[in-house]
Amino acid sequence: MNTISIRAFIPPLTRRCLSLRSNRRYAVQAPGAPTFEIFSHQQKWMQKERAASDIEASRSVDHLKDEVASRLCERLMDINRHFTHVLDLGANSCNIARMLTLPSEDSPNSGPRSTRVGKITAADSSETLLYRDADLPFNTEIDIQREILPTSELLPYDANTFDAVLSNLSLHWINDLPSILAQVNNILKPDAPFIGVMMGGDSLFELRTSLQLAEQDRRGGVATHTSPLADVRDIGGLLQKAGFNLLTVDIDDIIIDFPDMFTLMKDLQASGESNAVLLREKGAIQRDVLLAAANIYKELHGNEDGSLPATFRLIYMIGWKSSPTQAKPLERGTGMFSIKDVLEQHKKDDEGGK
Amino acid sequence: MPGRTRPIDKLASAAAKCSKEGAIYGKCIVADYNNVHKDKCVAEFMKLKNCYLAAYKKR
Repeated sequence: MNTISIRAFIPPLTRRCLSLRSNRRYAVQAPGAPTFEIFSHQQKWMQKERAASDIEASRSVDHLKDEVASRLCERLMDINRHFTHVLDLGANSCNIARMLTLPSEDSPNSGPRSTRVGKITAADSSETLLYRDADLPFNTEIDIQREILPTSELLPYDANTFDAVLSNLSLHWINDLPSILAQVNNILKPDAPFIGVMMGGDSLFELRTSLQLAEQDRRGGVATHTSPLADVRDIGGLLQKAGFNLLTVDIDDIIIDFPDMFTLMKDLQASGESNAVLLREKGAIQRDVLLAAANIYKELHGNEDGSLPATFRLIYMIGWKSSPTQAKPLERGTGMFSIKDVLEQHKKDDEGGK
Repeated sequence: MPGRTRPIDKLASAAAKCSKEGAIYGKCIVADYNNVHKDKCVAEFMKLKNCYLAAYKKR
């Protein structure tokens, strides 16, 4: 049977864009696991590029990322090892590298932290942000190599490459978190740690609730203005699914006081953390909503001195790539002591002490 | 950029001048925040908006 060509019905300009044989095909699901698209990568990339092009403003809001990077480095220093080659995944403006050149907070006299790190590769998708601080003095104190990733969802590295992978406040923009964690597990050497930190849980719940209440009153509905975030209890499962061993997950709440809601939003924008949810409302947020939200924020969450708190909940995760030489839990039934006895004895001691 | 105020700065400074009306509006919403519907506090909001618009124009 001959297929009927529809080319005659297509206007000339469109016709040029179509292939000569534009036949109908069945729609098929691409093979592999379906990936959920929540965040727009293009939008996120553009926000980061724009934010970093204003160098002064971008540097002035780096305090949170620097502080978190410093805490992350402390965790790396807790591991008594020399790391020959470290990857900083989603490096933003190389905050981790900068923090590595400072001395550890626990032992300020023992020189910079980077004595324990050989070479660091900082990878990010935004070129402007990555090279923002490339001419600062700290670059000469550490062996740093910057790499631009075409997409933050695919890691172009060979298996068993790195002695440690770090990630500072960028995993919360990843669409396919299980896949990226599995890739990280793949590029690590056996018995090497992955140490990451991401925004999660109730981060910015004050802003979220204020905007929701304001939109309900002004427009009678709610749009997405803040990202959905992973919760603490999800992280353990995610790491385990990616094949990591000996997991540690803990959280840290950092509360920053802002003079008003607009300052908070400007700071978020300057650090390239504006809304990039794919189903966000396109275009600017209505002024009525902003005006209403600012006052609801003040009334609902404001401090007594008039400042507004913003909560950032940071989830730290540590996982180790499995290796035959790694310590493993003993088999069931090989225990020599009963925990019940120990606990009861402990309880008795406590009661006796009182 | 010197010589150019960002719209959000203008908005913020105008909104800051209406803290009294803002507080009344905020209290109206927060009083029953589990049951917010469209135009729940429209009277309070219009007062706030009028104040804000006046402050915005004055600059």
